[in-house]
Amino acid sequence: MSKLKQTYNFFYAKFFLFDDRLVLMTAGAVVGIFAGLAAVALRLSLASVLEFFAPYRQYAWAFILPGIGALCSFLFLDKVMREGAGHGVPEVIYAVSRRGGLLRFRSTFSRLISSFLTIASGGSAGPEAPVVMSGSAIGSNIAKFLGLNDRQRMTLVGCGTAGAIASIFHAPVAGLIFSVEIILGEWKFVNIIPIAIAAVAGAQVCEAIIPTKELFQPPPFSVFTGDILGSIGLALFTAVISVIFTRTLRKVGGLAKRTPVSPWLRAMIGGCAVGSIGIFMPMVLGEGYHPIMEMVGGTFPMAFWLIFIGIFLKIFVTAMTLGWGGSGGIFAPCLVIGSLTGVVFYKAMMFIFPNAAVTSEGAYALLGMAGIMSGVMQAPLSSIFLIAEITGGYEAILLLLLVSSISSTLSHIIEPASFYFKDLIERGEFMRPGTDARILSDLSLNEIIDINYTAVSENMVFREFINIIRDSDRNHYPVISDETGDYLGLVRVSSIRKYALDPAFYDMIFLNQIMDTDMVTASFDDNLHDVLEFMEAFNIDHIPVVDHHRFSGMISKARILDLYRRELIMQTNIQ
Amino acid sequence: MNYKLLHIFRNTPFGRETFLQSLYFCKTINAHPVVYIPKTDKFLMYFSNDVVQVNLDNSFLASPDTAHEHVIALFDEAGIPPRFYEPKDFTASTLPDISSQFDYMCSPRSISDLSSKIGLGHLGPKVRRMIKQATFPILIASPVFKAWKSISVFFGGSSNAMNALVLGLKIAIASGFPLKIYTVLENNSEDVYRDMVRGSELEGLVDQYVNQWCFYESSGFDRMLYEVPHDSLIVLGAYGHGVIKEILLGSKMENIQSTVTNNLLVTGPNCRISLK
Repeated sequence: MSKLKQTYNFFYAKFFLFDDRLVLMTAGAVVGIFAGLAAVALRLSLASVLEFFAPYRQYAWAFILPGIGALCSFLFLDKVMREGAGHGVPEVIYAVSRRGGLLRFRSTFSRLISSFLTIASGGSAGPEAPVVMSGSAIGSNIAKFLGLNDRQRMTLVGCGTAGAIASIFHAPVAGLIFSVEIILGEWKFVNIIPIAIAAVAGAQVCEAIIPTKELFQPPPFSVFTGDILGSIGLALFTAVISVIFTRTLRKVGGLAKRTPVSPWLRAMIGGCAVGSIGIFMPMVLGEGYHPIMEMVGGTFPMAFWLIFIGIFLKIFVTAMTLGWGGSGGIFAPCLVIGSLTGVVFYKAMMFIFPNAAVTSEGAYALLGMAGIMSGVMQAPLSSIFLIAEITGGYEAILLLLLVSSISSTLSHIIEPASFYFKDLIERGEFMRPGTDARILSDLSLNEIIDINYTAVSENMVFREFINIIRDSDRNHYPVISDETGDYLGLVRVSSIRKYALDPAFYDMIFLNQIMDTDMVTASFDDNLHDVLEFMEAFNIDHIPVVDHHRFSGMISKARILDLYRRELIMQTNIQ
Repeated sequence: MNYKLLHIFRNTPFGRETFLQSLYFCKTINAHPVVYIPKTDKFLMYFSNDVVQVNLDNSFLASPDTAHEHVIALFDEAGIPPRFYEPKDFTASTLPDISSQFDYMCSPRSISDLSSKIGLGHLGPKVRRMIKQATFPILIASPVFKAWKSISVFFGGSSNAMNALVLGLKIAIASGFPLKIYTVLENNSEDVYRDMVRGSELEGLVDQYVNQWCFYESSGFDRMLYEVPHDSLIVLGAYGHGVIKEILLGSKMENIQSTVTNNLLVTGPNCRISLK
């Protein structure tokens, strides 16, 4: 072996094999940089194209622009990339929950391009979910390239998410928290450090290319005691709006699926409907950062009733954009709806209590954003830190905490699953690490099945069988048909004791007379959860696995417990 | 042991031919075909370190109302009880996850080369990725049903080729068909290849089941392909290189499959073959 290779192997073993944290930290930084670049690319391209289209929005024909954008977005995803529509965050959560964080390479760029087409043309959606998808896929594919295991791959998926969120919002702490709270669902030391590094890397990439400070810059404000009551009222209001938003998104999506038109035409219709509304209220188009800036700055010019209507129009156009075939996320629409809700609440409060000593309209816009995000995503920490970071101040942190916790709790009571998790929960595929469902789903019957069983013939005489069990330590014997080889039943040593103790039976009976033919069987199509339910229901410790009428082996509770424990240790790192 | 072969059914005359091939393969080695009738034009297969998206052309979705009964009729004709696969998990609503817990899989032949639906086109990167990641051998069925009566193992001495030899022996034991080994000598003498087998646990089985071991000079690759009987199942190992490696290193498997009309059974680097 050459000296160079020896030196390489020495350093590799010393720094990388010794402890995988160094590998994850290094890879996390790389993932964060690439995820940050993807986010910056989308942000810059959206800004320039939205600016280009801005003068044309006033024309009547402009209603077709979102339609064309949604159509192109759908065709790109469906025909070129061959992916489904949607924002992709549930896909990332699914990959982490069920597939060890495996994501396709094409996902590193497909949603970026499709959401660019949707949002740049005026569709109401946000660029954040697509960059999350992109960053996560970057993490997953870098892990694949490095040949990392499932746990390490999931950490890098989290790094990609954190880098993307940190970059697009210039909010590293929010990136870290979003990644852990929404995507990974577990707070572990081994995850947090690489994810934090990725978040910092993503934010620094953004800082280097777009050297602006916070996304929104509110004027300074003071918090009064009266704001506590105001915040509680706003939290109740935002919880209701959050539930309406979540349900509308799903209902409109369901309606689109039932509409008997081809999917590309559906995307076009949805986009044109959005464009038509946008002619009368341009605020609802695109990602909506400009009106947010005005609301946060306290300079939003619209009247109370128009803003109130604007909340519901924004909800509707977002549902039409995403449900009818467009591509993008709900982050930015949440911010717009939240700031509108905050401003409406503030105006209503000032109308009823004109002399109330409360903070500014801009502060209530911020609180509204936190309330809606917490209600829709049911992730209060992510919302609090995101709002605090994108506005550059922690002055309102107490009020943010209050609004976020009340809003997410109330929304959870009314709508137990968040928008991101609902589909996965309905499909039974939302499984967090260390939970019973996740551990059972990670164990396959192939791992658990014990195939070392002696099959016996249906026509075997009992004496012959006694000789077999004398030399074996097994308690179960599958009985097989001589003609077809099919499984017929099971002989349990415990159930034949009366024959075994009386030698008079030895030459009188055959196994097909004493076998248990009613015993429940499992097949490879059953998952472990089903198998355990069979065992519970029939109060048995062993179950035969029969596949295609053929005996394949036995599953025992003891074996399940052994592997369950091993898997639990692996997933939770309990030593 | 109950071996299962996954077959993606295409409800067209061409699809019938490949399904007949799968049925014949299963009957011959005593395995069970499991049929998936696709409802979407794509699906995912998750392996331990990769996820492969398989894109199907529209012919796989043709006449969905008759697909089920056509499959059952073909099963009945073969005397095999029908068995269907329904995906339980979905990455997205239109993107089902197909289990990778099978013992064999019949590759949907034209998945990546529309210009050669029935001919001997290139396999394309998707099939190569499946070969690279799969823990089971992939059957690449001949375009027209052809009952194979012998087994030909292409043995080049690599670990993959050794895997292919184990698989060939396994198929020969299960089917009772004669087995031949074909080797192109590349900078090595015949003895080197014989010693490889001699040094392994396969020596006894090779003596018992291999009828003939044919050696060719390094320039005799095309002659070897011609001399393989037309009704023989070719078993070979492949690495499933991606596009870049294929351009740099070339692909023997691509060369073989675009030259011969035989059925191919391909083992990849992650394939686990056991003689048990």
